[in-house]
Amino acid sequence: MPEVKKWAMDVRMSFQKTGMAKFISHLDTVRLITRSMKRACVPIWFTEGFNPHAFLTFAMPLSLGFESYCETVDFRLMEEVDLEELKVRLNNALPVDITVKEIYVPTMSPNDIRWAEYKIIFNNPDNVLLNTAETKLSSDEIIVEKKAKQGRKKVNKEVNIKEHIKSFQLSEENGKLILNTVLSSGTSININPMLLIGALTKGTETDEQDVDIIKIQSYTESMEVFR
Amino acid sequence: MVKKEVEKLLKKVQKPARYTGGELNSVVKNKEDVKLRYAFCFPDNYEIGMSHLGMKILYSVVNERQDAWCERVFAPWDDMEALMRENNVKLYALESGDSLDEFDLIGFSLQYELSYTNVLNMLDLGGVPVLKKDRNSLTPIVIAGGPCACNAEPMSDFIDIFLPGEGEEVTNDLVDLLIKHKEMGSTKLEFLREAAQIQGVYVPEFYNVEYNEDGTIKSIENTENAPAQVKKRIVSDLDNAHYPKDFIVPFIDVVQDRIVGEVFRGCTRGCRFCQACFITRPIREKSPEVINEQCRSISDATGYDEISLCSLSTSDYTKIEELIPMLFDWALKENINVSLTSLRVDNFSDELMEELKKVRRSGLTFAPEAGTQRLRDAINKNVTEEEVLRTALKAFDGGWTSVKLYFMMGLPTETLDDIKGIADLAQKVVDTFYRNPNREKGKGVQVSVSCASFVPKPFTPFQWEPQDTPESLTEKQKHLLSSTTSRKITISYHQSETSVLEGVFARGDRRLGKVIYKAWQKGCKFDAWDEFFDFSKWSEAFQECGLTTEFYANRRREYDEILPWDVMDYGIRKEFLIEENKKAHQSVTTPQCRIKCAACGANKLNGGKCDARS
Repeated sequence: MPEVKKWAMDVRMSFQKTGMAKFISHLDTVRLITRSMKRACVPIWFTEGFNPHAFLTFAMPLSLGFESYCETVDFRLMEEVDLEELKVRLNNALPVDITVKEIYVPTMSPNDIRWAEYKIIFNNPDNVLLNTAETKLSSDEIIVEKKAKQGRKKVNKEVNIKEHIKSFQLSEENGKLILNTVLSSGTSININPMLLIGALTKGTETDEQDVDIIKIQSYTESMEVFR
Repeated sequence: MVKKEVEKLLKKVQKPARYTGGELNSVVKNKEDVKLRYAFCFPDNYEIGMSHLGMKILYSVVNERQDAWCERVFAPWDDMEALMRENNVKLYALESGDSLDEFDLIGFSLQYELSYTNVLNMLDLGGVPVLKKDRNSLTPIVIAGGPCACNAEPMSDFIDIFLPGEGEEVTNDLVDLLIKHKEMGSTKLEFLREAAQIQGVYVPEFYNVEYNEDGTIKSIENTENAPAQVKKRIVSDLDNAHYPKDFIVPFIDVVQDRIVGEVFRGCTRGCRFCQACFITRPIREKSPEVINEQCRSISDATGYDEISLCSLSTSDYTKIEELIPMLFDWALKENINVSLTSLRVDNFSDELMEELKKVRRSGLTFAPEAGTQRLRDAINKNVTEEEVLRTALKAFDGGWTSVKLYFMMGLPTETLDDIKGIADLAQKVVDTFYRNPNREKGKGVQVSVSCASFVPKPFTPFQWEPQDTPESLTEKQKHLLSSTTSRKITISYHQSETSVLEGVFARGDRRLGKVIYKAWQKGCKFDAWDEFFDFSKWSEAFQECGLTTEFYANRRREYDEILPWDVMDYGIRKEFLIEENKKAHQSVTTPQCRIKCAACGANKLNGGKCDARS
């Protein structure tokens, strides 16, 4: 028997998560979006197992403490609906710091994501960081400490991430150091900007936690904007 | 709204969303537009506090008013507290980000004795003097309610006003009165004098307590025209009582993260150990239509996928068979699960079991409370072994494979035979599973026995009883372990030192304020949490104050002794409690209220009405 498609539309929602919403973890974001869908009466498809749940697929989890302008989640609609109107309804049901940008029929798969662009703001950089950041980023080896597993044992591994930094740009503004950079992202290789921040602040007096991190955009291998 | 200097700290703490505010349905007002600001404080962490129904109700009661704004405050976890103290950030309310010392009314919910040190710590972190004698201006006024308010004496050095009973109406009365006195520019004393005239308001400083040589109370004298006994407040008609139309939806996973439908208050059972039963009487039920409507409204406003029906014994709700289909009618269509808490084994009907099978299956929990029939009769837990096993069989037929059994240890008249009875009953439940031909194939059974240590509480028939000593409890715990032979049974029990402290404060007097203050200064906080609880600090504090835990916990009180909580009137007649105490020692049961009214006296609080007698 041919499989019958039980839903009407596959859609993707892009949203931003800024301000205080950066303190909402990925799992809590999943629950928050699920509940918002329910409040907004979105006719979303539920899984049909013993415990039916709303079927949501997030392209990439966002680390706690990061802001983002390019989050996406895929879901299925049980009926054809006006996507523009749906966006308005959802935005009314969401907290202020999470805003739907667009709901559309996707053309790419989340597996197509290869790069991500970040804006990293060091709020209180010391002189050492200001003087060494450029050199460190330009050198052939950028060694970071990555947590890894050896069998069951947890170990710290030193890795060169040079090839995972596609581009970078440094600037200073009101005593802050701003780094715009494109890093490897996606299901196979993913470089968390915290690794890079750790490498840059190593040997400096700069507090690696006094940093704002904003995810700007996701791209494919050929640097097309992910949609 | 979190201030900029706080945001910096949030990057360094666990679960920062505990401290951000801004959750859906939280109420933000303009502080210039209100006459009174109320900080509702829960003296435990965010996850516990946000699960509390009473807070949701009172938050909504105050915020419905145009002239007042209620905000939430929780105890910060120790990582956040350390950063706050280091950076001179005061404890703030989540809605405005303003510190506690900017509020007019600061209200604490006292749900358990082990949260007392957190009250002190929160006041201190919020820039408010901890001792009430150091707060001389009209505001802030520090108030406290909840079950512990029935014997508030140990906390009376810190709290200006206690509110015994239910808070919906008295909160509004107090808010009105404080607004009036703020406008009049009154002193704190003038305000307290008038407040003491409101039913359900206890102002401890208006009562002088004298002690005998042996430490017992000689007299309690009321002054300033305050009533000799403070009568608790209740809401007469639950259908028309205020109930929130929405709940705040937390960002993080909290303990009770679902729609709560309150079905009734009070309890008809009269188990002699249970304080909740006696201090929440008389019985008042809500009609199924109202409960259904309230759940519907909260569902629409929150997007929650679970409804929990809440009361002291939900299967005793007389209209449960009407309510369940009403809820299922819409909830199941919307993939909303309905769960019932506090079911009893003796009235678990086949129909109810069938209905429950429709929804997600959670574990099944029974509370026989004691291991032998003799002891169950003594504590008036009118459940027989046969009923427990019959219900377990029904549950195993229905596909359940794990059962939780709740017991208590250290009950009055208990012997080692009664302890062995716990293991025997658990074993019989295991045997019932394997004898059942309809059991779920290929699966084993898991029986979890959870043993709490009994703590005698005020306003129960056991209020005169000595609490079992830690040594005796440890011996009983060992006996239970050695009496258990099956690997299908897991046993867990409580640390007995926390029960000692609970017992001391539950029946303590106001001299204990010094001990609490000292313990807090030594760093005691979050005493209900194993990772923080430090009994050695408490022992030092008792010693330095010249008081002992044994005097409060392990002493048998005479019926004619003046008890610290005699100043409260919870409707329950003392003669009734004495009668029940005597019957306990004879292992004689008292039928539950629906079979025969035991004349506890609580109905006089509601003009003679009690829903147990229809």
